[in-house]
Amino acid sequence: MERTACLEVNALPLQMLLRSHPEWLALPTVVVDHDKPQGVIQWANEKAHAMRILPGMRYAAGLAIARDLRGGVVDDAEIDAAVELVKRRLWSFSPRIELSDREPGVFWLDASGLQHIYPCLNSWTRQIRADLLDVGLHSSIAVGFTRFGSYAAAKAVSTSIVFLSPEKERAHVDDVPMDRLALESYFRDALYKLGVRTVGAFIRLPPSGIRKRFGVEAEALHQLARGEGWTPLEPVSIDEPVECITEIEWPERDLERLLDLVAKSLQSILAKLSERHERLKTIRLTLRLDDGTELNEEVSPAAPTWDAQQVLTLLRLRIETLAISAGVVEFELRAVGIRYYHQQQALFQQAPLQNIEAAEKAFARIRAALGHDAVLVARLRDGHLPEARYTWEPLETLRIPNPSTVACRPLVRRLYTPPVALPPCDRHEPDGWLVAGVSEGPVEEVIGPQKITGGWWVREVSRAYHYVRTRSGRWLWIYYDHYRRRWYLHGELQ
Amino acid sequence: MTWPDHTSYAPLWCKSAYSFLEGASHPDELIEEAHRLGLRSLALTDRDGVYGIVRAYKKALELGVQLIIGADVSIEDGTNIILLAANRGGYGNLCGLLSKGRLRSSKGMSRVTWDEICGHAEGLIALWGGNRSLLIGEHTAHSVTSNLCDAFGDRLYALLARHRVAAEENQELRLREHIKRYGLKTVAGMEVLYHTPARRDLQDVLTCIRQGVTLSTAGRLIRPNNEHSLRTPHGFGTLFEDDTEAIERTEIIAEQCCFSLAEINYRYPSERLPSGRTSRDWLRELTFAGARERCDGTISDDVRNQLEKELNLIHDLEYEGYFLTMYEVVRFCRQESIMCQGRGSAANSAVCYCLGITAVDPVRMGLLFERFLSRERAEPPDIDLDIEHSRREEVIQHVYTKYGRGYAAMVANFIRYRARSAIRDVGKVLGLPATSLDRIARMLSHYEFPSKETARQAGFNPENPAHTNLFRLAREIEDFPRHLSIHPGGFLLGHERIDTLVPVENATMPDRTVIQWDKEDVEDLGLFKVDLLGLGALNVVHRTFDLISEHTDKHIALTDIPADDKSTFKMIQQGDTVGVFQIESRAQMAMLPRLLPKNYYDLVIEVSIVRPGPITGGMVHPYLRRRNGEEDVDYPHPSLEPILKKTLGIPLFQEQVMQLAVVAADYTPGEADQLRRDMAAWRKCGRIERHRERLISRMTAKGIERKFAERVFEQIRGFGEYGFPESHAASFALIAYATAWLKCHYPASYLCAMLNAQPMGFYSPSTLVEDTKRHGVTVLPVDVRHSEWQCSLKLATGSGEGFAVRMGLRYVKGFREHVAESVVTARQAGTYISIHDFVVRTKLAEGDAVRLADAGAFQGFNERRDALWSALGIVANRGEELNLGDAEPVTNFDPLNPLEEIDWDYTFTSHSTRGHPLTTLRKQLRKRGLPDADALRNMKNGSRVRYAGLVICRQRPGTAKGVVFMTLEDETGFVNIVIWEKVFKRYELLGKTQSFLGVTGKLQSESGVVHLVAEKLWEPDVSLDATETRSRDFH
Repeated sequence: MERTACLEVNALPLQMLLRSHPEWLALPTVVVDHDKPQGVIQWANEKAHAMRILPGMRYAAGLAIARDLRGGVVDDAEIDAAVELVKRRLWSFSPRIELSDREPGVFWLDASGLQHIYPCLNSWTRQIRADLLDVGLHSSIAVGFTRFGSYAAAKAVSTSIVFLSPEKERAHVDDVPMDRLALESYFRDALYKLGVRTVGAFIRLPPSGIRKRFGVEAEALHQLARGEGWTPLEPVSIDEPVECITEIEWPERDLERLLDLVAKSLQSILAKLSERHERLKTIRLTLRLDDGTELNEEVSPAAPTWDAQQVLTLLRLRIETLAISAGVVEFELRAVGIRYYHQQQALFQQAPLQNIEAAEKAFARIRAALGHDAVLVARLRDGHLPEARYTWEPLETLRIPNPSTVACRPLVRRLYTPPVALPPCDRHEPDGWLVAGVSEGPVEEVIGPQKITGGWWVREVSRAYHYVRTRSGRWLWIYYDHYRRRWYLHGELQ
Repeated sequence: MTWPDHTSYAPLWCKSAYSFLEGASHPDELIEEAHRLGLRSLALTDRDGVYGIVRAYKKALELGVQLIIGADVSIEDGTNIILLAANRGGYGNLCGLLSKGRLRSSKGMSRVTWDEICGHAEGLIALWGGNRSLLIGEHTAHSVTSNLCDAFGDRLYALLARHRVAAEENQELRLREHIKRYGLKTVAGMEVLYHTPARRDLQDVLTCIRQGVTLSTAGRLIRPNNEHSLRTPHGFGTLFEDDTEAIERTEIIAEQCCFSLAEINYRYPSERLPSGRTSRDWLRELTFAGARERCDGTISDDVRNQLEKELNLIHDLEYEGYFLTMYEVVRFCRQESIMCQGRGSAANSAVCYCLGITAVDPVRMGLLFERFLSRERAEPPDIDLDIEHSRREEVIQHVYTKYGRGYAAMVANFIRYRARSAIRDVGKVLGLPATSLDRIARMLSHYEFPSKETARQAGFNPENPAHTNLFRLAREIEDFPRHLSIHPGGFLLGHERIDTLVPVENATMPDRTVIQWDKEDVEDLGLFKVDLLGLGALNVVHRTFDLISEHTDKHIALTDIPADDKSTFKMIQQGDTVGVFQIESRAQMAMLPRLLPKNYYDLVIEVSIVRPGPITGGMVHPYLRRRNGEEDVDYPHPSLEPILKKTLGIPLFQEQVMQLAVVAADYTPGEADQLRRDMAAWRKCGRIERHRERLISRMTAKGIERKFAERVFEQIRGFGEYGFPESHAASFALIAYATAWLKCHYPASYLCAMLNAQPMGFYSPSTLVEDTKRHGVTVLPVDVRHSEWQCSLKLATGSGEGFAVRMGLRYVKGFREHVAESVVTARQAGTYISIHDFVVRTKLAEGDAVRLADAGAFQGFNERRDALWSALGIVANRGEELNLGDAEPVTNFDPLNPLEEIDWDYTFTSHSTRGHPLTTLRKQLRKRGLPDADALRNMKNGSRVRYAGLVICRQRPGTAKGVVFMTLEDETGFVNIVIWEKVFKRYELLGKTQSFLGVTGKLQSESGVVHLVAEKLWEPDVSLDATETRSRDFH
């Protein structure tokens, strides 16, 4: 008989919040949906519960009860990471795991056939809970025979429960309070008002009446609760990267021979990706050398591809830049794929004059040869300090530039990053100041100061900028830093 | 290098805190700093307004600095121009221009056109420049420049603005090109946003609040440097050393701006007068006609003399128009059957009494006219008119219509930063979590900043730089105006257009316009203000009269209420005053059996005595002892006898306190007036303290005991928190008595009126319903077969007054009036016979039907849960042609038990007519030896008691040194609980959160007043479902 288990990581977001604020453990603490006084409490810890600060209340209402109430928002990304962590750990206990898309922290596990591995299912549940406790997560688990039965039981127990027969599961689930289940608040409240407090009372309601009043989702739940409408587990796939390790009998020093070996491994990797309907997005090459050192390099084609030659070219470019101190005794290729869909509509688009695809390929080759950070693009930023007005970012997608026309071109300055400290001198520029050395001659003209002060809430800055012209005709852009008490050369006019 | 040394210049572009969330200094701080720097003049040019000029003017007058009035005007194309008023005409033009811009824009915005600027140019000087100006752009519209040159002539200047910002170099180049092309003169200037560079941080914060960003994301929205403070003449000279003429022109312009606010010649609007009569004649005629009516045709000499005296003074001060306006407003209210009554110091005036503005006879009451109007004070009279709150808008719109939008506008109210709001807004800008900010904000009162201890308790670390910045800047921002709001009822009326006096703008409420000055500004300039305030009690009285006349043949008016009704006073003396205006609070009810009011004047005292002034001044108990003959009436000094005689030697009223200052401490009328103002300005803590030594030393020098003198000062300080003059009390006591009489003789009508006038008053509808039920009135639940939107009366033998009260559909939570109308309209074709019938005929949405089912409005047809099951399927059922019950098997739900019934009532209608929640628990409570309120009242003084009831009111008055007062209710009445601070701290959580509370303590029973002094609070151990009552907490 098939066994289904359901595991709930209790109040997962609250556990996440308390992990990031351990100093709040002794205080009433809640998770709110928004960082606002009117944010709604979603989870409350025992201390808060004891003070009657309950989910559904506003944070402000909770504060009116407990002045030391702590609260915070847990990002979806944090929850996703925690779910991912739990998922990976659960794979050690069952190959088939389904994630609840409505409730983060609820998982169904296939518990069939485990009696051959574990002494009993109770032992299996204990090990799962202990494993999750190792990473600081408290959970409850129920092993039953149906998806709904195990879910309802897991929501109602604090530790674990294993049902020995479907009848026992049924009897237990009938007594589970409806408010333990994650129901839409409207549905939950309506049932409560009607006096329908347990699963048993719920299933006694007429199905047609449920659909009519609460919709098809409620009807589906009713059906599941009645033990009808079985659906199989929909386990998540194990999206491990595709990898291939090749041992070389004799330490290989010849690049061409090494690339031949890499090409063979690459073919098998691309074949595996193809089976998964994926194209290669990035590939990581690890070279283990005879002298014990290890070299790790990663390349990405311009676009996800099955083209082995293109990938091999990029790998060649990268390997050629490496200083390999000894023969290679082993190499490993580890590829990450991505599902790829043809975009039919692209066929109808007018091709731009510039060949973006070719440019992307060229950039991929440059990256392969010089590293990922070799291709950067400048982005304007909204700051006052010159260095805060732009940033360099890796170029992710190449777009055709569309510059706006400027009537009055601003001064073109070449900036020094970081600014160059000038030899110590007085705050007020002295006569005959040799700011750029004797060869450039003394400063003959000064324009300024233009002041930039601020940042008092993080790190206070106070600079007085000047344009200075040396006798040689160079226009330098310098500033006096009031906090460092020193002059700096920040740029030069072109 | 040497710099040219300038001894002075005039800053012509200064923005104060009244450029909301931009300027970081108060107007008076700018003036003070200008004075300190030796500047002779300063122009206040707030963004699109003159909000701060009165404050600046006062300070400038004090320090001898010339205040130039202007504004930084926003143009529709997103640019700006600075306009300065050269003369009165220019000021009027500026106000008119700003009004145009404001009135066409949404709240907080203003946009004018270039044509309008040119159209208002007369008497104005224009400074054109700065980083938002069109003149520094790459392309300046030629037509705009030409038009400005034509309109302003040589009064148009190009503003050379320098703040040591890199972009200004290019801007100045372009500006100079335009100057050359159009032949403009330059004037030096900088945009002053704060008086000292130390305020730069605050300016950044204000900008972020205005822009809705945090400091870390503000980028270039905040200024690049701190070059926006007032500069010394030397510093200014250095900045513009290459254009000294531009500096000199600042002073030339200052000399040209000779307008001062002193030139505002305000005239109150003249009323339309019957032909051939002057205002004086008409006021006299109306006054004496009213006097004859008030005095049954014969005017006594006393009254005639008083009227003559008042009319002469009114004439000398030329205030006839003001009185005629008030008369006209009152006449309009009467004509439209809107109940109104003047209060405040106007009750001291016999003229107001005769004109029907007030209902208190000041001659009979011995009220002093000088308190209202005096030649020495020479300040405008202040008449507050209370209007039944639901119809006040009609009166406001009447005033607009009668005087015209151009001649009437409401007075502003500046919403300012206080501790809580400061912490919240500054913290948000600093990027601190809003939940943490809310936590600390809630630990503070409005005016209290957190101590280090409080900060730590709230999880803040005073050593953390972000937290240090929070507390520092929150203190700096305190008292800064955040935005403009509207005064509750103050109107400014003018003989000439108001928008030549002060700019007018739109309020948030539709059809309301507001001026840019607040009450203090209006008072400081000696302008007349008419206060039209809303009062819920008048609405209740009116509704009660209407119900009585609708259901009986009696047509009652306020004047028909007998003055000395014994049964009414008996009810009052017993403290049976739930729902009675002004004397219904827990403290008032506890005072009534001690004071035992026997007549109207006793009520005046009752209204005044339970106030912070008399309480903190320790005046209550001595007064009660003297009244009960337990203590001799004596006076600390013979000169004080005339003042204190009517209150048995104890000062209870604000007027008495002021008179004490004059007589006992030799205060001049001016000093007394300052005292009154300082008492009124209670928020500005400390202002009252400056009178302490003066008052006490002068009184002791006169032979008054120091102890008494100190007590008088304590009372003054108490009045500072909430002053209550006798004239106010006299007006309120009239309404208090009227409402008590109605409650006593027409309890059903009065309850019905109160329920229909909600929200108002002190108690929740459930408490009002329970109280009236205890007085023998039947209250019927909401029922779709009988209920209207409003509560209504229904003939019922056996019910008090012969009527039962049927609760209206308005008490079904979430139910809307227009839906209720469809229920009532459909019912006119015949009563509903089933839910099915109801659903077919009303076509209600499912949500509304569910609300009715929850509230028990279908109980005439079905059990509540069955009705809810039917209602839930209502929309789907319609699709199936309403086969309710046929298409699916019948489902039997458990009926609600009595406690659940009441619980549902409270949950879905906030009250229950079916019973008090504790009725169903009484058996259980009795078993546990817990008495009801009735039994408690009959217990002996000093008994130890355990009692349990529902909390309906929690209070911790500032005057009670941490003592918490609670009122608990059960099905038989109320019990007052006193909880000492120590006890409350021990049981704080229970005390704050438990709605059904058990108390163990000692009974104090004295003069019919019963208090239970708590020793322990506990949670009653009974099977009570979550029955929540809404209590009035900590007001």
